[in-house]
Amino acid sequence: MFGINDWGIILAYLLAVCCLLFSIWWGITHWNKDYKSDSEEKTMDEYKHDDKQ
Amino acid sequence: MSTFYLGLIVVLYLLSLTALGYLGYKKTTDTSDYLVGGRSMNPIVMSLSYGATFISASAIVGFGGVAAAYGMGIQWLCMLNMLMGVIIAFIVFGRPTRKLGVKYNAATFPQLLGRHYKSKSIQVLAALVIFLCMPLYAAVVLKGGAVFIEQIFKIDFNVALLIFTLVIAAYVIAGGMKGVMYTDALQAIIMFGCMAFLLFSLYSSLDMNFTQANEALTNLKDQVPNKYHDLGHQGWTSMPVFQSPQWYTLVTSLILGVGVGCLAQPQLIVRFMTVESTKQLNRGVAIGCVFLIVTVGTIYHSGALSNLFFFKTQGKVATELIPDIDKIIPYFIDNAMPAWFSAIFMLCILSASMSTMSSQFHTMGAAVGADIYALAKRKNESNINSVIRIGVFFSIVVSYIICYALPMNIIARGTSIFMGICASAFLPVYFGSLYIKTVNKNAALASMYTGIIASLFVLAFVHRAESASLGLCRFIFGRDVLFENYPIYMIDPILFALPFSTLVYVVGIFSPKEQKKNIVKEAAIEEPA
Repeated sequence: MFGINDWGIILAYLLAVCCLLFSIWWGITHWNKDYKSDSEEKTMDEYKHDDKQ
Repeated sequence: MSTFYLGLIVVLYLLSLTALGYLGYKKTTDTSDYLVGGRSMNPIVMSLSYGATFISASAIVGFGGVAAAYGMGIQWLCMLNMLMGVIIAFIVFGRPTRKLGVKYNAATFPQLLGRHYKSKSIQVLAALVIFLCMPLYAAVVLKGGAVFIEQIFKIDFNVALLIFTLVIAAYVIAGGMKGVMYTDALQAIIMFGCMAFLLFSLYSSLDMNFTQANEALTNLKDQVPNKYHDLGHQGWTSMPVFQSPQWYTLVTSLILGVGVGCLAQPQLIVRFMTVESTKQLNRGVAIGCVFLIVTVGTIYHSGALSNLFFFKTQGKVATELIPDIDKIIPYFIDNAMPAWFSAIFMLCILSASMSTMSSQFHTMGAAVGADIYALAKRKNESNINSVIRIGVFFSIVVSYIICYALPMNIIARGTSIFMGICASAFLPVYFGSLYIKTVNKNAALASMYTGIIASLFVLAFVHRAESASLGLCRFIFGRDVLFENYPIYMIDPILFALPFSTLVYVVGIFSPKEQKKNIVKEAAIEEPA
């Protein structure tokens, strides 16, 4: 297939393409997806003042 | 291309980096900005930075050289980089990491673990692993970049190394995480563009299409040098003989060591904490995968095909022409591509090296300043940014010194050593912090120590590639490895150390004593006041 006879190599290429297609699908379908839990995030009181240096 | 134009391209590139580093410096007002970009980085910048940090000159020069020597089997690593390094990392690990980062206001990976397990020991231990082990990884990346500059500019390796180091030091120390990520994004664009061009012009230089080139490479299998043939090499379009020495090196060290180890890389994990919502992480998944398949997919494929090019033009395959596999890709680019592209590709290698190293130096500096120093000097917090900067400088110096001690053919191996240690020490504890309700700092600490000690033990006494070079096993026991039965000495340390550290963590978490403690705690919470 495509000049390569070893299925061990062909599978690596095929799976890489599958990962690519999945990632594109995920990116498109979740591009603007909001998560309610994100807006409910809070920093614990004991760590709130670490940033001001 | 003349030295003048080469120099001009480099100067323009360095000026761009300076401008972006300065932008990062101006936008850095507090520790959160310096360590996690203020948790407000653009998702495209974040995912490009992640990709550029992930893919270093070690991936291009080192693993590209491996592809030239061992063939297309290394494409399994490209696939795992995409699956584990982006898809699993962003979707399964990234989202809860970002949330925990907000909950604990954590700005470093050791801080995340330390605050979750309520253990300063865990934070300091994680910081020490980073500070003591990461210089090796940084040194091999530094070597990859300097070797390339040496070949293209024909200048002394020492001069190349020094200039390289000084430039990175400037924008990392001044610009912090914002400076690092802005420059990373530019470097990722350069890398992407170069590799896309390489993919198309390679077939032009071979005067073949995709299938024809693969067929021609398949037909070259009788040209495999004897020393590789004896190790299991069956040609560059075939996997090595199952359970041969080359198979064990390819599969256990290079593919699994890096493919699994990439999940526990502190300098990558911290990037999940630089964006403000899960939406940003989701956007990064596609960008990350596209970036990886074009960059590493191309260089591994090209590395294998370099054998065809060299055989057609010089009558020898790559490893016969150039014994040091770390020098194959630079030589290939210099000979197969137009002169102007060699200059642009030099930028690509520089970008790959600098983006990874800037992140490594920043992470090491943060380990010193924000983790070790901040815990030791709790009262005097006002100069933590200065201490982090000093830590960055010190890390750079150490990595620079180590670079001189590195042997040939070290780049790919050095990368997998560091990733293996990180995976064994951090992965069970990290995963546990994200998904396991029971918080047991003793189990976490035991797991980390187990991972570290097991990794070091196997490196020093069991895995021949390192134990023979180190010489400690020979000094104590009179032989290169403790267990001379094949294939024990061929199996990568990660396959011993990671299961062991995972087992220790799981036993600690789910031990009957721990279960009893949880029941008592829950009962205390449920009792009416």
